[in-house]
Amino acid sequence: MIRFLLRRFAASLLLLLLVLTVTFFILRLIPGDPTHLFEGQHLTLAQQQRLKQLYGLDRPLPEQYAAWLAAVALRGDWGTSLSQQRPVSSALLDALPATAILASAAVAVEYAAALLLGVAAARRRRSGVDHAIRVGTLLLYSQPTFWLGLMVILLFSYVWPVLPASHMHSVDADLMGPAGRFLDLLRHLTLPALVLGLSNAGGTTRFVRASLIEVMSQDYIRAARAKGLSELRVVWVHGMRNAAVPLIQLLALSLPALLSGALITEVVFSWPGLGQLTFNSILARDYPLILGATALSATLVILGNLLADVLHAVVDPRVRDA
Amino acid sequence: MLEKVKALRASSFALLAAGLLLAGCRDGTEPSGGSSGAGTASPRRGGTVVTGWIGEPGGVNELIVPSSQVTDELMHRVLLHLLEEQPDFAKHPPTLAPQLAKSFEWSADHKTLTFHLRDDVVWSDGVPVTAEDVRWTWQAQVDPAVAWDSVDHKRRITDVEVVDPHTVRMHFTQMYAKQLLDANEGVILPKHAWEKLPFAKWRQGAEWFKAHLVADGPFTIASWQPGQQIVMQRNDRYYQKGLPYLDRVVMRVVADQASLLAQLLNGEVDFVPQIAPGDARQVQANPRLELIPYWFNLYVGVAWNCDHPPFSDPEVRQALTMAIDRQTIVDTVLGPYGRTATSPILTSVWAHDPSLKPWPYDPAKARAILAAKGWRDTDGDGVLDRGGKPFAFELLTNAGNKPRADATVMIQDQLKKVGIRVEPRQVEFNTLVSQTLAGTYDAAISGQSLDTSLDMTENYHSRSIAEGSNWTRYHNPEMDRLLETAAGQPDMPSEKPYLEKIQQLLYRDQPMTLLWESKRLTAINKRLRNVKPTMQSSLFNLKEWWIAPETH
Repeated sequence: MIRFLLRRFAASLLLLLLVLTVTFFILRLIPGDPTHLFEGQHLTLAQQQRLKQLYGLDRPLPEQYAAWLAAVALRGDWGTSLSQQRPVSSALLDALPATAILASAAVAVEYAAALLLGVAAARRRRSGVDHAIRVGTLLLYSQPTFWLGLMVILLFSYVWPVLPASHMHSVDADLMGPAGRFLDLLRHLTLPALVLGLSNAGGTTRFVRASLIEVMSQDYIRAARAKGLSELRVVWVHGMRNAAVPLIQLLALSLPALLSGALITEVVFSWPGLGQLTFNSILARDYPLILGATALSATLVILGNLLADVLHAVVDPRVRDA
Repeated sequence: MLEKVKALRASSFALLAAGLLLAGCRDGTEPSGGSSGAGTASPRRGGTVVTGWIGEPGGVNELIVPSSQVTDELMHRVLLHLLEEQPDFAKHPPTLAPQLAKSFEWSADHKTLTFHLRDDVVWSDGVPVTAEDVRWTWQAQVDPAVAWDSVDHKRRITDVEVVDPHTVRMHFTQMYAKQLLDANEGVILPKHAWEKLPFAKWRQGAEWFKAHLVADGPFTIASWQPGQQIVMQRNDRYYQKGLPYLDRVVMRVVADQASLLAQLLNGEVDFVPQIAPGDARQVQANPRLELIPYWFNLYVGVAWNCDHPPFSDPEVRQALTMAIDRQTIVDTVLGPYGRTATSPILTSVWAHDPSLKPWPYDPAKARAILAAKGWRDTDGDGVLDRGGKPFAFELLTNAGNKPRADATVMIQDQLKKVGIRVEPRQVEFNTLVSQTLAGTYDAAISGQSLDTSLDMTENYHSRSIAEGSNWTRYHNPEMDRLLETAAGQPDMPSEKPYLEKIQQLLYRDQPMTLLWESKRLTAINKRLRNVKPTMQSSLFNLKEWWIAPETH
C-alpha cells in the first residue's frame, strides 16, 4: 500500500509541475502587460522598465522560469503579486477560507439534494416522480452557472427580496456580535451555495439513482426485506451503505467541477474567494498570482484524484496490487 | 527678470488668498454638480453612507499602488497633501488651497519654495505632522526601490530641507510653470509609522501599510475586508473641528455595473460614482434617487496610427473625420450627457480654444479628398481601392464599454457610405493598451484624460512614441517645439498662447478624430446632502456630506 501511495504521489507531483510549466509559458503568450492597468494612467517607458526590472520581468523567459521554480521549490516562495503588492501566498490565504466555505456548503447542498432525489427516483422507478426528477435534474445540470446565478438573484433578491444578492457579509457586519455575524454569513451563503450545489446535483442525483437501483436488485436486499426490516432501513442502511461507496469517489473527483463552478459563482455573487482572485489576476496580467492560484487549484484537483485512487484501492485490493 | 519674479511671488500669494477664500465658499464654476438641499438646512452630524464601486482600492500607500479612481478616492480621504487642488479651472488654472501647509513663499530666483505647515495637525495616533514627514515622504518618492509611478514630478527637486518642525524648503533645479504642482504631487506619509519598513521591502508591503496606517485626513480606515468592503470612520483628531459630519463611509466592492445598479435601486447602496448613460432613466424614475451629471475629464475619439499608411496622411485623416457623423454618434450613444469634442483640452477648462468648431460632417467632401489621393472604387465592389488594395481597416475598442462598442458599429456604417470597409473588433482592455503602445493597430476608439496640468507631452510629443503614451504615433517637429515651449513657461497662464497653438495644430492634423466629451453621471440617494463631485474626484467634499433627517 505504501509503495502504491508513493508511486501515486510522485506521479501527482510530476503532473503539478507540468501544469505549472505549461501555465507559466502560455500566460506570456497572452497579449498584455502587468504594467498596463488603468485607462488614463501614464506610465513612461522608463517607469515600466524599472517596474519590470524590479519584478524580474525583463529577464529572458527561461531564466524567469528557472528563478521562479527555484524560489517555489527551495524556499516555498511564490513571489510577489504585481497587482496587490504583497506576497502571493498571503493573497491566496486570504481568499482560501471564502472558497472553502462556499465549496463545503455547495457540496452539502449537492449531496443532500442528490441523495434525497436519487433515492426517491430509484424507489419509484419509471413513475411520474422518477421522470420529474430526471427531467428536473437534467434541466438544472444544463443551465450555465452564471445564468442560474442571475436568475436566483432576480427571484430571491428583487422580486421576492428575502436574501442578499451579493457579498459575504452585510455592510454593518463588523458591528454585529459573533452569533449575528454567523447568521449574517449563512444568509449571504444561501444563494451562491444553492446555485453551485444544485447545478452540480444534477449529475450526482442520476448517479445515486443508478447506483441504488443496481444495489436494490441484489440478493442481500431481498434477504433483508425477507427478515421483515422496514423499507426505510432497507434502503438507507443496507442499500445506501453499498451504493455510497462509488459516491465517495465521485465526491473526490468532483473537486475540479466545484472549483471551476466556484470561479463563476464567486464573480456573480461578489464572493471574495479564489475564483474572483484568479479572475482579477488574469485581467491584471498578475503572472505570479495567476501561477499561485493555478498551483493551488491544481493541487486540490490532484489531491482529489489521489484521494479517489486511494479510496478505490482501499475498497478494491485488485487496484493496489496491480 | 527680478520684477517678473516679484510679480510671480505676488501671484502665488494671490492664488493662496483665493484658495483661502475658496476653502470657505466654493465658486460657481463647478459644472452643474451638487445635490439637492445643499445649503438649505444646517448639516447634521452622524450616520453611515454606503458607496458602491467596481474594483477595490489597491491599498493605502500611493507610492506602490497603481493609481486608479477608487484607490485615489480612498487615499485622499485618509492622507493629506500640502495644498489641495480646487475644482475651479473654468477661467484660470486651478487654485491650490491650504491643507497641511498654511502658506508658502518663493525665493527671489524662484528656485526655492518654502512651506509653512500648520502646527495643529496630528496623525490619528496623536503624533504631530511635521516637516520631517514632508522630507521623508520625498525621500521615499524618489527612492529607486520604491519605484513610484509619478516620480517624474520630482525630477527637478534637488532637496527637501527641514528648516524647523513646521517649515520645510524645497530646492528646484530651475524655474518652470508647474513647479508648485510638482511640489504638491503626492500625499504626505507618516514617517514615524512607516519608516520601520525599509524601502526595499515596500513593493511587497501593501498589507503592512494597511496594518500600520495612521491618518491625518478627515477619515481613518476602521476595517478592510478584501474583495468585500472598506469601512472609513471619522478621524476624531482631524484638524478641521466639527468635520467630517458622517460617522462612517462604507466603500462596497461590487463585481459589475448591473449588480451595482441593482443595489442602488433597492437601497443597499447610497452613492454610485458613475452609472452608464443607458441607466440614467431608471435612476431618474426612482423617487428616492437623484442623478448628478457633471463634465468629466475623459475625451473619447478614434486614434489613427499615423505610422500606417494611409493614416499617415493628415488630409486622409481629415477626410475620415468629415466622413464620421460625430453629432449623430454622440446623440445616439450619450444623449444629453455628451457633446462633440474639438480639443483634448475640454470645453469646461480655462485654456480651451473656443475658436475651434467641430469639423463638418461632409461625406461628399471626404470622398473628393480621397479621390484626389487616388482612392477610387475601380472594381465596383463598393470599396475604394488604390494600387489594387482596398481601403479597409480594423477598428479596435475595449470590451465592456457600450458607448464605445455602439460607436464602432455606427462608424462602420458611416464609413461604408464613402467606400471604406471597417471591421469593428472588441478586445480586452489590457490587450488594447499593449497593441496601441506597440503600434500594431490601424485605428482604435480610446479614451484619454488630461489632468489639470494640461501637459500633452505624453500624448503628442514625438519622443513619447518610444517612451510614453503617444498612441497615435503622431510626430511633428512644430508640435514638439510648442509642447516644449509651453512647459518652459514661468507659470501656467503664460502657457495659454502655446496651448492654443497646440490645440489648433491637433485640430488641423487630426491624429485623433475626437468623438465626444461626456458627463459623468453620479447617482445618489436623496437622503445625502451637500454631495459635490468634481471632475477630479467623486468624493471631493466627502467630509462635508451629511444625511438628511427622515421625513416620515
